[in-house]
Amino acid sequence: MATPTINLRDQVVLVADSSSYLSMIIHGMLRGFGTNKVLEVRNSMDVLQALSAQKIDILLCDARLPPHGGLKLTHAIRRKIDNENRMMPILLMSSDTRERSVKQARDAGANMVIAKPISPTSLYDRLAWIALTPRQFVDAPTYFGPDRRFKIEGYPGGVGRRKGDNITAVAAESGPAMAQDDIDNLFSAARSGKD
Amino acid sequence: MPDQDNGDVRIFNVETSFQKLARRPGGVPRDSAVEKARAKVDELKPGFDDWLGKQINALVGIIDKAKDGNPASDWIDIANQRSRQLRDVGTTMDFELLTFIADSLCDIFDAVEAGSELSMESIACHVDALVLIQQKPYRGLKPEQVPELTSGLRRVSEQVSTSPG
Repeated sequence: MATPTINLRDQVVLVADSSSYLSMIIHGMLRGFGTNKVLEVRNSMDVLQALSAQKIDILLCDARLPPHGGLKLTHAIRRKIDNENRMMPILLMSSDTRERSVKQARDAGANMVIAKPISPTSLYDRLAWIALTPRQFVDAPTYFGPDRRFKIEGYPGGVGRRKGDNITAVAAESGPAMAQDDIDNLFSAARSGKD
Repeated sequence: MPDQDNGDVRIFNVETSFQKLARRPGGVPRDSAVEKARAKVDELKPGFDDWLGKQINALVGIIDKAKDGNPASDWIDIANQRSRQLRDVGTTMDFELLTFIADSLCDIFDAVEAGSELSMESIACHVDALVLIQQKPYRGLKPEQVPELTSGLRRVSEQVSTSPG
C-alpha cells in the first residue's frame, strides 16, 4: 500500500511555544517535511496578532502557551465569528496526556493532540491525518470545531495503522498519561456513544 | 457528506486551505520526509549540550537561591517552566533519561503549585540527577538502564504529590 504524501510547500505553519529551543526543533522537522514558510511565536497574543495579519494554514500550539494556555486560545479562535482562520486546523502539543486533559483539548476544538516529546514520525503522521482525513465541522451553542465523533480508520495509506484502532474503551477519568495511540483513539470515542 | 441542520446544531463540510494544498502533487513522501526531518534534528544535536548545560545551570541557580532562603517570588513557576523545557526536548534529542527526570521534577512542582508541601530535598535530588546525566557514563542511557535512580526519583516525586500542604 502506498505511503501517504503531503505537500507542505508554501503552506504557512504557525508554531506557538514559549520555548525557543523546542520551536527550533519543530521548525527543523517541518523544513525536513518540505515546509518553507514557518512562523514562530511565544505567546497567545502573538498568535492572535499573526492570525489577524495573514492567512495561516495550520497552527501547532503548545497546550501551556502563556499566558492562558493553548486550550483557551483554541476555544477563542473557534468562537470568534469574524475570524477567517476560525476553521484552520489546530494541532495541540502537550506533555500532559492524561485522558481528562486530552478530552479538554478535543472539546476546545483542537483537531488533534500530539504528545511531547515529539518525533518526526509522530508529527508527520498527525499532519497527514489532518490533511487527508475529511472531517465535518460542528456549529453548536456550546461548541464550534471539528466533529468530535471522529472515526479513526488508521493513517492515510495504511501507514502507522495502530493495533488499537477503532477500539473505543478509554482509561479512567483522571488516569495516568496516555500513549499517542490512546490519545488518537480518544478522538474516536464519541462515535460509538461511549463519550 | 451532506450538510445537516438540526435546529441549534449545524454540521457542515469544510475543506481547509491546509487540506487543499497538502493534496497537491509534489509533496515529500512520508519515509523521505521523516528521514529529512531526522537529519535536521541531528544538525541541532552538536549545540544541544551547550543549551542543556545552560538550562541546568539556570535551574541549579534558582534552586540554590531557594535553598538559601532568598528565592524570587515566582521561583517555583520559573523552575517548573525550565523543567518542562528539558522534559519536552529530551527524548527528541536522544536523552530519554533527561525527559524522565525532568518529568518527575515537573510532577513535584505541579504538586507544590497545587498545594502539596514543599520539599527542597526532593527537588534538590532531582536537580542533582540532572547534573549527573550530563556526564559521559550516563549519556544516552534509557531510564530502564538505571532502575535504582529512576525508581528512587519516582518514589520521591510520588511522596511529594501525595503530601498535604
